[in-house]
Amino acid sequence: MPDRTPTRGRQAARERIAAKRAAEQEAERLRRRRRTQLVTGVAVAAAVVVAVLVAVLVQSARTDTGDAVAPANTAAGTAETGFARGSADAPVVVDVYEDYLCPACRAFEEAAGDTLDQLVADGEVVVRHRPVAILDRLSDDEYSTRAAGAAAVVADAAGVDAFATFSGLLFAQQPAEGGPGLTDDELIALAAQAGATGDDVEAGIRDRRFGDWVAEATDRASRDGLTGTPWILVDGDPLASPTVQALTAAVEAARG
Amino acid sequence: MTVPVAASPRRGVAAALPWAGTVLRVGLGVVWVVAGALKLPDPAAAERAVRAYQLAPEALVPLLAFGLPVLEIAVGLLLLAGVFVRPAAVVSALLLAGFTAAVASAWARGLSIDCGCFGGGGEVDADSTAYLSEIVRDVALLAASVFLVVRPRTRLALLDRAVPLRGGPDA
Repeated sequence: MPDRTPTRGRQAARERIAAKRAAEQEAERLRRRRRTQLVTGVAVAAAVVVAVLVAVLVQSARTDTGDAVAPANTAAGTAETGFARGSADAPVVVDVYEDYLCPACRAFEEAAGDTLDQLVADGEVVVRHRPVAILDRLSDDEYSTRAAGAAAVVADAAGVDAFATFSGLLFAQQPAEGGPGLTDDELIALAAQAGATGDDVEAGIRDRRFGDWVAEATDRASRDGLTGTPWILVDGDPLASPTVQALTAAVEAARG
Repeated sequence: MTVPVAASPRRGVAAALPWAGTVLRVGLGVVWVVAGALKLPDPAAAERAVRAYQLAPEALVPLLAFGLPVLEIAVGLLLLAGVFVRPAAVVSALLLAGFTAAVASAWARGLSIDCGCFGGGGEVDADSTAYLSEIVRDVALLAASVFLVVRPRTRLALLDRAVPLRGGPDA
């Protein structure tokens, strides 16, 4: 056994210093870790903020339809997003927002189509048809957008009456949600049946000439308050439910 | 054996908690990443889903429709990785509280909309709304978030690892 007696004091002092140094090192280590964590945290937060801003910019650019080309024969007062049937002097304005893939729209057309035709023929109302595309996610091939775009091509080439005929054909042959829509060839055949023919019509349907216009019309409708279709406005007031009774009652009331 | 009999179940719970946290963390993370990612492909539809609530002014619609999905994905990724779990869980809880309030308000105002929680959204038939199940789901996810706020350290985490149990009274 070595005799430690003479060195005991120095030994204790050395241990105290070592302990102090270890404590300082531990504190320094903790400080550094906290610092690293703070810096990383700020960096992550900043990255998230940047990602959010980039997403807003990119998605805004994707939804920008400022350079959309509108078809001919759109009605006044619809910002080039609607086609009017009936006399512009008619006392009551009925706006009909429909998606060609929407079953409730087809049901409305079947139930109220004749009534609307009669009201138009009698000069009681002007109907503004405003195709929108909100159901692309329920279609394998963006049928809502393609059908509305094809309707715009027909209106552009052959006028509003051809558009109305084409709309009726589209609703009569409406595909089911969740699957493929009518093909471009089928749309072109129906367009011809409605009175719109020629290479230009064919190219307009195939190339989705009015695809941006459909997006713009849909976005405008959404900003105006559309949350679903059919959305029927009588002199600007939406019908609570799209029924013939509600429609005729609202038209009566609007006529005063 | 010197382990007191009474301590044994408590030790079992203490050992299981970090694993329970892992399950909640990964589950919540997957939900956020999926929910956010599904809202990115169709930005116009995302805007319509936000407008359907009729709560946000038009000027805020793009930020909510385009920004929220990215925030959701970020929260989900942090939770999945186990990095900054507590702040991520706080954001997760705040988002869910906000969503729950928005859905409840839509319900109370008699709107017929889909919550758009996982893309989609907008108006639906009055008889196909699912407000109750949407709220129950959001509250369950909120509870998971609160758990992770309280106990952010879990197993299989990159950073916020639970300290392994080592016998002794501190376990």
